[in-house]
Amino acid sequence: MMAKASTIVEVNNLTYQYTDRPVLQNLNLSIEEGSFLGLVGPNGSGKSTLIKCILGLIKPQAGKLSLFGSELHRFDDWSKVGYVSQRANRFNAGFPATVFEVVSMGLFGQLGLFRFMKRNDRNKVMQALKTVEMDAYAKQPIGKLSGGQQQRVLIARALVSEPTLLILDEPTVGIDATSARRFYDLLRKLNQDQGLTLLLVSHDVGTMTKYVTNVACLNKSIHFHGTAHEFETNPNLSSLYGYDVQHIIHEHEEIAK
Amino acid sequence: MIDVFFQYDFLRNALIAGVLIGLIAPMLGVFLVVKRMSLVADALSHITLTGIALHLLLANFFAIFSLYDPIYMGMVFAVIGSLFINQLRTVYGHFKELAIPIILSAGVGLAVIFISLADGFNTDLYSYLFGSVAAVGSNDLMTIIIIAVIVLVLLFVFYKEWFFLSFDEEQAAISGLKGKWLELLFSILVALVIAASIRIVGILLVSALMTLPVASAMQWAKSFKQMFVYAAIFGQISVLSGIFLGFHLDLAPGGVIVVFAVIILLLSLLKNKIVKASLNRNVQNR
Ligand SMILES: Nc1ncnc2c1ncn2[C@@H]1O[C@H](COP(=O)(O)OP(=O)(O)OP(=O)(O)O)[C@@H](O)[C@H]1O
Ligand SMILES: [Mg+2]
Repeated sequence: MMAKASTIVEVNNLTYQYTDRPVLQNLNLSIEEGSFLGLVGPNGSGKSTLIKCILGLIKPQAGKLSLFGSELHRFDDWSKVGYVSQRANRFNAGFPATVFEVVSMGLFGQLGLFRFMKRNDRNKVMQALKTVEMDAYAKQPIGKLSGGQQQRVLIARALVSEPTLLILDEPTVGIDATSARRFYDLLRKLNQDQGLTLLLVSHDVGTMTKYVTNVACLNKSIHFHGTAHEFETNPNLSSLYGYDVQHIIHEHEEIAK
Repeated sequence: MIDVFFQYDFLRNALIAGVLIGLIAPMLGVFLVVKRMSLVADALSHITLTGIALHLLLANFFAIFSLYDPIYMGMVFAVIGSLFINQLRTVYGHFKELAIPIILSAGVGLAVIFISLADGFNTDLYSYLFGSVAAVGSNDLMTIIIIAVIVLVLLFVFYKEWFFLSFDEEQAAISGLKGKWLELLFSILVALVIAASIRIVGILLVSALMTLPVASAMQWAKSFKQMFVYAAIFGQISVLSGIFLGFHLDLAPGGVIVVFAVIILLLSLLKNKIVKASLNRNVQNR
């Protein structure tokens, strides 16, 4: 192994339960700086729950979580973290705000109280919109865009604060195949050129594994965490965790033929 | 016709109070509406009535209460009510709007008891229900000015935060915004604005002043910022018309204000219809 890059996300023995049944149990995971990790697992396996724990939106019953080397409850540099949630575009569709205004929100945490958007900030917003190819829509009301376009705007909002860690929970749902591929290209570029660390949840495992550097398989706890290549070539994964993977492996066999 | 408003103190008071209320009520209303909480204004105005009724009841027994304006008791109740609503909204998670009928019915129930104990309605109570041009004393005016200044300053300071929170609570929380605290502050402001507006618009109609101009603004605004500009303009038109006509025609100003707000809303909807129709025509002509 090479000299170790610093660990950005560290999860130790995490247990979380909404009711009496644990959704996550004794989960361990670490994400190294500069990696592009794909998180896979069947519906209800706890992917979104894990992400919410990492973001501090919900409090686990047991275990330790660290972000950028400091314990979660001490961590306060949230502008380093971008997040696009699974239900990102299910906001109030008639909300009377422009695309520009929505993306600006990504800077509010950084700006803090008593500080207002300056020209430099406005440029950042336009830049983020350009990155997702939505700059032409800056003045449009957010509610009048298509679902996929809204999703891109929300990705721009996550990018605008120039985070070091970007967490995306099924961001390509509702985005057409071509745009999804362009979006993955963009993520790869951000990862390779700017060293952005990425955590990506997707059910489109076949496409995703072509882009990520690492894969983690989740079902209550992490059952596999290795490079994308190891994941693709491991024939046992199907027995380790359920339908989705069988499905992928099946697909891979198809492709291999 | 207009100079009479500068001859008499009480009319001048009503005018200044109206301008301020016509500004702050619709502006706070923008956040209420986009959060889908328009009915909170109704619940809080009714709980204000509870406070006022309690004051009027107590004044029957303790002379000291007659020295103070009942609106202060109303304000205290409105603030307490807003704290309850805030709390109930977190308890009911997915059914946040349940908090509103709970507080509203509790408020009206108590108010009715207080009013019947105090031997029923009197003219005083009537002016609280429907507003009155003559009701704004110089103490009232001072209270309204103070509340207006507080609201405008806080709107300016927390605009970003409240905007973010109303759009997307989860994301706002991740950016490190102290959501709970900001929500609480917002609820208290709404309670204060409602209590301040009651003198002019009346309890039954104060929520209309917070929501109708916003509904009209939605038909015009091209951005969230513009929502505030349009809501304030429409609020001003309604309130000033209400005060002028209310005085000259001897009508309850609350009624006139709301009728004007409704007319503006209808015109706004009509304008949008016309715009859409002409777009369709253009498409067909092509
Ligand atoms: N708010 C909640 N209250 C109670 N249980 C919940 C809640 N949210 C999720 N769960 C349960 O937790 C488990 C994990 O849910 P989670 O949303 O993390 O799954 P997921 O892996 O993201 O699934 P998907 O692929 O469908 O997005 C599920 O069994 C679900 O029933
Ligand atoms: Mg999920």
